[in-house]
Amino acid sequence: MTHLTYIIPAYALAVVMILAYAISARARMERARKRLAAIDPRARDSSARDTKGPHRG
Amino acid sequence: MAAPNLHRFANPGQFLRLSGWLLPWLAIGGTVLTAVGLGWGLFLSPADWQQGDSVRIIYIHVPAAMLASAGYFGLAVCAVLSFVWRHPLADLAAVEIGPVGAGATALCLATGSLWGKPMWGAWWVWDARLTSMLVLLFLYLGHIALIRAFDNPERGYRAAAILALIGAADLPVIKFSVDWWNTLHQPATFKFTSAPTMYQGMVWPLLISVAGFSFGFGAIVTARLRAAVMERRIRGLMMARAQEAA
Amino acid sequence: MTRKPLSRKHRRLLILGACTLCLAGAVGLALSALSDNVTFFVSPSEIATKAPAPGRSFRMGGLVETGSVVKTQSDGKAGARFRITDGTAGVNVNFAGILPDLFREGQGVVALGTMRPDGSFLASEVLAKHDETYMPKEVAEALKKNGTWNPADGKPAKPGG
Repeated sequence: MTHLTYIIPAYALAVVMILAYAISARARMERARKRLAAIDPRARDSSARDTKGPHRG
Repeated sequence: MAAPNLHRFANPGQFLRLSGWLLPWLAIGGTVLTAVGLGWGLFLSPADWQQGDSVRIIYIHVPAAMLASAGYFGLAVCAVLSFVWRHPLADLAAVEIGPVGAGATALCLATGSLWGKPMWGAWWVWDARLTSMLVLLFLYLGHIALIRAFDNPERGYRAAAILALIGAADLPVIKFSVDWWNTLHQPATFKFTSAPTMYQGMVWPLLISVAGFSFGFGAIVTARLRAAVMERRIRGLMMARAQEAA
Repeated sequence: MTRKPLSRKHRRLLILGACTLCLAGAVGLALSALSDNVTFFVSPSEIATKAPAPGRSFRMGGLVETGSVVKTQSDGKAGARFRITDGTAGVNVNFAGILPDLFREGQGVVALGTMRPDGSFLASEVLAKHDETYMPKEVAEALKKNGTWNPADGKPAKPGG
């Protein structure tokens, strides 16, 4: 493959950025859900039901 | 004019239910389509007759560019919803779209640079397309800063909405810069008026990658917005408790 | 006249629409006024009709005329002499430096430099410009063979080129 010195950084940057955004979004959502479930009795029967999170966030 | 009852979606409980159902689909769609699009583009699609393998950067560059513009368009839509209908979720959405759109813009500029160096012979040139895209990045950064700049969040929302609407003028400039002026950047691959001048075996991975990035963008923004709605509810509950205790 | 007063929401919508129109007009006017500066390069025929001041640096773009490229050596530095054409006019270009990978006869290029008194162009930087036609080499060669190749797309690369 030609131009690998340009292709590899481009793809690596894309993968790293996508993962960073996805993982941080998911972690923030999980954190908020746990805190909310701990203090809000309403959350237990509405939003906290979907305990399976996204596969990617 | 009978405005649709947008406040139906302003109910945070309803939003959490709807987005909770939507999010897994967006996330799965985004992961699968992005993996297929990029894998196909990197390993299976043919090299270009004149650019060699460097053309494979297009499978990241074009989706990132489209989402950079689409994200800012989203900010402008949020601004209108916020101004005219005072929709509370629109302001929260604007806060969450900004950083994701800025990331897409940065990715577009970085991959463009990595593509421009071997093909054009320069990392960067000040032509109309590249410059207007850099302006978009600064508009995003300004929006991110402005919406968080005030102690009273409402004032930040107002100021950022104004910036979003003014900045939206950059979007047609980005889109049509390659047609209006002589630029080093080539014209668009996907046009409104004619079929893409691109070989089928390259169009498909590009379309799949665009779809994957779009789903992924939607999933990330939705997840952030869900978190923001829950965080706001947490703050509300904490405040109510503090007042009860006082 | 008994007109119903506008609701607050409709008034906001109206104000927003008016502001958007004004802004669009202002941006449009500014861009059309700036268009000379926004343009990244000028073509050889534009130079023929409106000669730039000598010594002023600018960018010139066009196609590398087929058969015009001569590789040069001056002071041990590689360079090239070629002609940039837009189909109606052409300008001779002298360049000392490394040409981009895509540089070849028939290819679009943009050169930065100045006009010299003899009407030639002294380039300090040459960038390659490609179009939005993307296809594998086999397809390019097949198109060329059955005569449906669009010459505006340049020449298919030689193997390994």
